[in-house]
Parts: sequence; structure tokens; C-alpha cells
Amino acid sequence: MNFRQFAINNVLRSKRTYIAHFLSSAFSVMIFFTYGLLSFHPQLKDGLVSSSGTLSMLGTMGMTVSQYIVFVFSFFFLLYSVGAFIKVRKKEFGILMILGMSRKQLNRMLFIENILIGAAAIIAGMGIGMLFSKLILLISAKLMAVDQGLPFYFPLQALVMTAVAYAVLFLLIALFSSLMLRKGTLLALVKAEESPKPQPKASPWLAVLAVFLIAAGYGMVMVFAILQIFNLLLLLGGVVLVITGTYFLFTQFSVYFMRYLQKRERFFFRKTNLLTVSELLYRIKDNAVMFFLVSVISASAFTGIGTTLAIGDPGLSAMENPYAYTYSMYDEDEDKGNRHLDIIREELKKGGLDYKEAEVTPIFTDNGVKLIKLSEYNGLIQSLGYPAETLGDLEGILTPGTVSEKNSYRIDGPLSDQFEVLNGKTSEIVKVLKAETFIAVPESYGETLVVSDRLYEDALQAQQDQEYGYAAYHTFYVQDWKNTGDVSRSILERFNENEDNSYYLKSLYFDWKNAQQQNGILLMVSGLVGIVFFTFAASFVYFRLYADLARDEQQYRMIAKVGLSKKELGIIITKQLVIMFFLPMLIALIHSGVAFVALQQLVDFSIVGHSLKIFIFFLSIQIMYFFITRWRYLERLNKMIQ
Amino acid sequence: MEILNVRNLGKVYKAAVSHEALSNINLSINEGEFVGIMGPSGSGKTTLLNMISTIDRPTSGEISIGGKDPFRLSQDQLAMFRRRELGFVFQSFNLLNTLTVKENILLPLALDGVDLDEMNRRVGVLAEKLGITSILDKRTYEISGGQAQRTAVARAMIHVPKLVLADEPTGNLDSKSARDVMEIMDRRNKEDKVTMLLVTHDPVAASYCNRVVFIKDGQLYNEITYGDSQSAFYQKIINVLSLLGGSGHEFSPVRH
Repeated sequence: MNFRQFAINNVLRSKRTYIAHFLSSAFSVMIFFTYGLLSFHPQLKDGLVSSSGTLSMLGTMGMTVSQYIVFVFSFFFLLYSVGAFIKVRKKEFGILMILGMSRKQLNRMLFIENILIGAAAIIAGMGIGMLFSKLILLISAKLMAVDQGLPFYFPLQALVMTAVAYAVLFLLIALFSSLMLRKGTLLALVKAEESPKPQPKASPWLAVLAVFLIAAGYGMVMVFAILQIFNLLLLLGGVVLVITGTYFLFTQFSVYFMRYLQKRERFFFRKTNLLTVSELLYRIKDNAVMFFLVSVISASAFTGIGTTLAIGDPGLSAMENPYAYTYSMYDEDEDKGNRHLDIIREELKKGGLDYKEAEVTPIFTDNGVKLIKLSEYNGLIQSLGYPAETLGDLEGILTPGTVSEKNSYRIDGPLSDQFEVLNGKTSEIVKVLKAETFIAVPESYGETLVVSDRLYEDALQAQQDQEYGYAAYHTFYVQDWKNTGDVSRSILERFNENEDNSYYLKSLYFDWKNAQQQNGILLMVSGLVGIVFFTFAASFVYFRLYADLARDEQQYRMIAKVGLSKKELGIIITKQLVIMFFLPMLIALIHSGVAFVALQQLVDFSIVGHSLKIFIFFLSIQIMYFFITRWRYLERLNKMIQ
Repeated sequence: MEILNVRNLGKVYKAAVSHEALSNINLSINEGEFVGIMGPSGSGKTTLLNMISTIDRPTSGEISIGGKDPFRLSQDQLAMFRRRELGFVFQSFNLLNTLTVKENILLPLALDGVDLDEMNRRVGVLAEKLGITSILDKRTYEISGGQAQRTAVARAMIHVPKLVLADEPTGNLDSKSARDVMEIMDRRNKEDKVTMLLVTHDPVAASYCNRVVFIKDGQLYNEITYGDSQSAFYQKIINVLSLLGGSGHEFSPVRH
């Protein structure tokens, strides 16, 4: 046995300790490789194939950014877990140094160990990635709505990039791990395990503060969403308060709560509670910072992915624009315009879809107020199924053009109760009767005023000698717009037959599809990052358990002698594991639940479905991790105790 | 030849209430001697051993081992010094559980980069002497406490150190295994002239020494030497321990 063999044996013979660390490293390598596999794909190389330029840019950018995120997170997670290993092995290092190992040799040993694990993780991660690359390409093509699919190729570039990036990463980790052992005398190293852990303490004030901070943070976010005070500081402040509160919740409140339970003898002295609670007290205190990180990051992941899913909701597209088709044209293009309108009508009829048509021509007065004729407005809202409005000569209705305008009308009403309308030389004051709270006018940004036909004609008349005309918007309202896919495609086909591309048609169906595609990319990007995250979080719990295994074995063997059945041991361990696995998750769930409630205030359609989907997905992953860990851990303990 | 020389050694633990663990200790051990240190709990015997084994620093006084003051050495030199001049046996064995028995034994040699054949030869010879040849390829969790401690003794002697330090080597063993381990150490001392310093609670273990030094409240209390027989020496030890008072009852007056 030479020195190198000694270091290698250290790793190979403590597989159980290193397995979670190794698996999560390999998994992170695999995800990184997957991103590489996609972004170097010959068909995706020049931006993702997508129906819009912005989208393909977004897609490619998203891939790159998440690749970075996975890389950076992996670095910190691995650093943390290597740091934890070093802490656990302090005594071993102490013995080695007493036996005469120099610092240099100790560093070399740590270095070889880390490089060994790193090399194995890189090879395993890329190997598994290659094995599943065909499947990954298939799924990605579907998620990103690449119709022609993504054929398999040999991803040399992705392999090289992954290998190089992670070689650098593990090299850095190896270097850092040597640095971590700098401090501490030999005596402290040798005595590391012997000194009994002090009873965790918590300040009742900080415990109360934790609850208070979180409540205040929630309050601020809610004020932001419900009262629609769009002040970024308010939102940011709320988030910061919640994060700070969560930190104290885990480091102070949890300990305080456990101590409280211990004082309630009726509860504490009942059956296995005595053991469960006192063990948990140490477990939670030891892992408080980890729990804090996991819950904050999971909460952001939940909220991020949930929001992403909402972007692809058909409700969002329809909320901004209720019309299946909006066709705009100018007077000079009337011939072509009418031909196109006929095509739309024909195709809709062919598709067996009922539609209601309307037309509107918004104009600007000399002082920049946007006007719409009452008769045209009534046409629009009647096509949407609302009753017609009536207006006096100098009366008007404000109608929103964007979602945020609509929300502000709903909450604050009209900002001013009268408008000055300048018609050439005459000025008239229009009294605002009300501000409408649904979007009826297509393609309209900024305040739009519905006025009497007389006033509208006067304003138009005053601008008679102007060179430019106003565009007229033809709207087609289709109740069943989600089924206009085929119709939309044949309409575009017929429009393009004449090779005259100078027309403007907005199709709700295509807008929705775009949003969905965008959503597919974002979902993939955030989903993969989220999964990497959860893997690391779960492997931490696993690792922490194994770090304490020796102590636990001894303790439970002792308790088993006093009289603890296998079943009772199972109950104690299960209760502890449930808390370790699901407490951070529960906190994350509550945090993002509040975020979703706030988000719900800003949009019209329900996002509960999306939020639930996300929760259930991650919950099932976590439950799987939980059962695997519980099974392995209990089996090990039971074997030891017998 | 003098192997260990401790002069006016003192150790003060600085804290809110400073505590003087050792004061004015003088001790000298010659080559081939087997010396025991005894004393009640908290008397400072482990503190003394920690300083001789270079794990802890004294606040006053000097230590010289083989003519060298280990506290004047640089970190790397100190590692070298521990590797070549000192051997350790601990109460809790402190074997590395990732290594086999054989690998544990030759670890100090591996650290020093000794030639492979030489390593194998030395392990073979020593294992034969300590009666652990049959377990050489086992892992540490597969062997008994007595075997583990014999492995630790082998590890402490494989590199032929100037001084072997043992901290309660029988503390975790049953009396049969304890006797085995002590007899092995005694034989190495007699046959190979290995110089040994032993800290112990156990009067049986101490009765294998040539000389036993007693410490009380951080100061030297008494010193007795091996006379005619081990049983007579044992009785002398028991007598001093009961004179030490207070914790005399920690020790049974009858040999097990």
C-alpha cells in the first residue's frame, strides 16, 4: 500500500458515506451535459427553431443561463458537502497527524480523494447522459414544440465542455477542501468527537421575531398585490422580511418550540415522544442553516415554475385580447383588406365556427386623447356579449387597453372625471361617466375614451387635411377560439399565396401557442434546475444521517437493551425523517402559496391548477427520496441493533 | 541513555477561571525503561501525556525527547518527528476503519515512503510476535477489542520509535484481553528494548512497568519501582493509591 492507494482506499471503502455525494455530483454533471447536448444540437445551434425571433433567442439564452446556474449551484453545494465531510472526519485527521502525517500529505490525501470522486462523477454523469440522450432529445423536442423533432447526434462538443467544466469545478473543490482544514489545533481535532454537544439554546425574542417578520413580509406582498401599489421596494422589502424571518424560524423558533414541548411533560413523557423530540432538537439545530437554504430556494423554485406555467395558460392570452382574429387595415388597402376579411369569414365558416364581427377605428384628437365612436364601441361589446351603452353628447366612458389598466380601473376607478377634447379650434369638456373593467378595444395602449358619434365625427373632421389616415381594426370574436388552429393555418396559407406579406393579422391562437412554446422552454429550464436542487437537498439529509450513524447506532443499541421494539424504533426514525424531509418543503409551500395568492390578484384566470401541479410534482420526488432513505437507514440500524 | 526529559513542566488552562492542570513536573526516562503514570481522575496525567506526545503545548517548562525539543520544530519537522520517533496507543484504539489490519499497521511506514518489501517484511515479523498474523487482512470492524488493541500496539512499534506512549491502553478491554495486551507490551520492552510510557488507571496494567510515577492535583506525588515480583509491585501500587486518598476506592484491593 503506497500513499495513493491509501487515499483511494479511504474513498472506496466508505462507499456508503460518499454515495449520496457522488450521486448528486453525477446527477449535476448529467443535467449540465443535457443542456450542452441541446444547445450544441445541429438543429438548435443557431437559436432554437421557433415561430418567433425573440422566442428562439430567449430559448437559447435560457439554456445558457440555466447551465450556468446548475454549475454555480453545484459548486456551492459540493463545497458545502465536502466541508461537512471534513467536519465529520476531524478525528480521523487528528489520528493521522499524530501518526506523523504532515499537513502536506493530508492535503494531498484530500486532493486525491476529491479528484477520485470527481472523475468518477464526471464519467458516470456523462455516461448516463449519453445513454439517455435519445430519450432526452425526444422529450425536449416535444416540450419545446419543435415539430420536426431532434435527431440523435454524437455530442462531442457537449462531452468536452462538460468534462472540462467539471474537471475545473472538482479541482477547485479539491483545493478548497485543503484550505478548510487550516485552522484548529491537533488537540481539538482529536477531541472533536468526544466533547458532548451543548444543549441548543434559543432566544424567545428572536423566536417571536421570526413569526412577526414572516407575517410582516406576507403583509407587504399582499398590500403590493391587492392594493396594487406597484412599488418595487415594497415587494423587495416583503421578500427580504420573509427570508430573514425564515432564517430565525429555523435557527430560533424551531429550537424554542422543541424546548417548549419538552417542558410539557404530559406530551413529552408519553411513549416515544421523549426520544423523538430530544433527538429532533439536535437534528434541527444542526441542520438549521441547511433547512433555511432549502426552503428559501424551493420557495423561489415553486413560485418561478408556477409563474412560468401560468404564462402558457390560455387564460392569459385571452385576458389581454378577447378576439380570435384582429385584422387591421388602412383606407388605401381597402381592396386587399376586404379580400382578406372574406378569406377569414370563409375559413371560419368552413371550420364550422360561429363568429361575431365588429370594426373599430380609434383616432387621436389634437391634444392627444384617443377617441372611439360609441356606435363602434357598442358593436365591439355586443360581439363580446355585453349590453350596449348609451351616452349623452358630452359624456364618455374610459375603456382599458391593457391588463394593468383594467386592474387600476377596477380598484381606483377613473383617474380624472373629465377630459378636454380639442377639435381644431374648439375645445370641449367630456364628462367621464365610468371606467369599464373589461378589455374590448383591440390593439389599444393607453387611455381610450368612448364618446358620442357626433363628437368623434367633429374631431375627425378637424383633421381632414392630415396626410395620414387611421387604421381600422376588424375583430372576429369566436367563443371556441382554442380550436381555431387549423382555420388560422389555412387563413395564413391563403393570405400568403399572393406573396404580398404586407398585411396585419393577429391570431389569438398563435399568440397562445407562442406563449406555450415559451413556457415549454422556461419550464424545461427551470424544471431541470429545480430537480438538480431537490436532488442536492435530499442528498444532504441523507448525508447528515450517515454522518450521525455511528452515534445513532450506539445510542439505539443502548436504548434497545433498555427495551425498545423494532416497531418503536421505526416510529421514532420515521417521525424524525418526516420532519427533516418535509419541514423545509412545508415552509416553502406556505411561502410560495402566499406568492401565488398575490399573483392571483394580478391576473383574471385561476392559477391554482398550475401551483398544485408544481407542488405535487416536487412532493412526489421528495416522498420517493424519503422512502428510499428511510428504508436504507432503518435496515442499517436494525441490523446493527440485533 | 536518556530518552525523555521533562523539566519544570507546567500547564495552565486560560478561561474565565484559569485552572492550573500541571505544575513543576520533572520526569526522566532512560532507554529501555517501561514507566507508568498513575493518579486519580483529574490529576493531570492525560494532560502530561498529551504534552509529551506533542498534541498539546505546555505553558512553562521544557520537554526533550531523544535530545530534541519538539516544540521548537516547524510543523513539517514535527510531523516527521512524530512519524519517526514516537508511537501511540490509545484507549479507544483509533484504528482507521477504512483500512485493513495490515494497512493500519504499516500506515506510519507508508507515510514515510518506505520500500514495499521492507514494509511487508516488518509487518510479517511484528504480527508474528504479537499473534495477529491470522487477522492481517481483516477490516477493523471484524476483529475483537483485544485484537484491535494489539493492532494498535503493532502500529505504534512498526517504525521502531524512540518512545511509545500509551494512554489507558487497557481501558476498553476485558481483563483477559487487557492482560494479553500488557504482556505483549512487556515482552517488546524486555526483548526489543522499546522505551514505553504508560498512563493508566489500572493497577494490574501498571504492575508490568519498571517504575510507576504518581501524580496528584497536577504535581508529582510519589514514585515506586519494581521490586522482587509483579505481585509485590502490584501490592505496593495499591498501597500508594489508597494513600492518594479520596479516590483510592476506585481500585479494587485484590488482583483480578
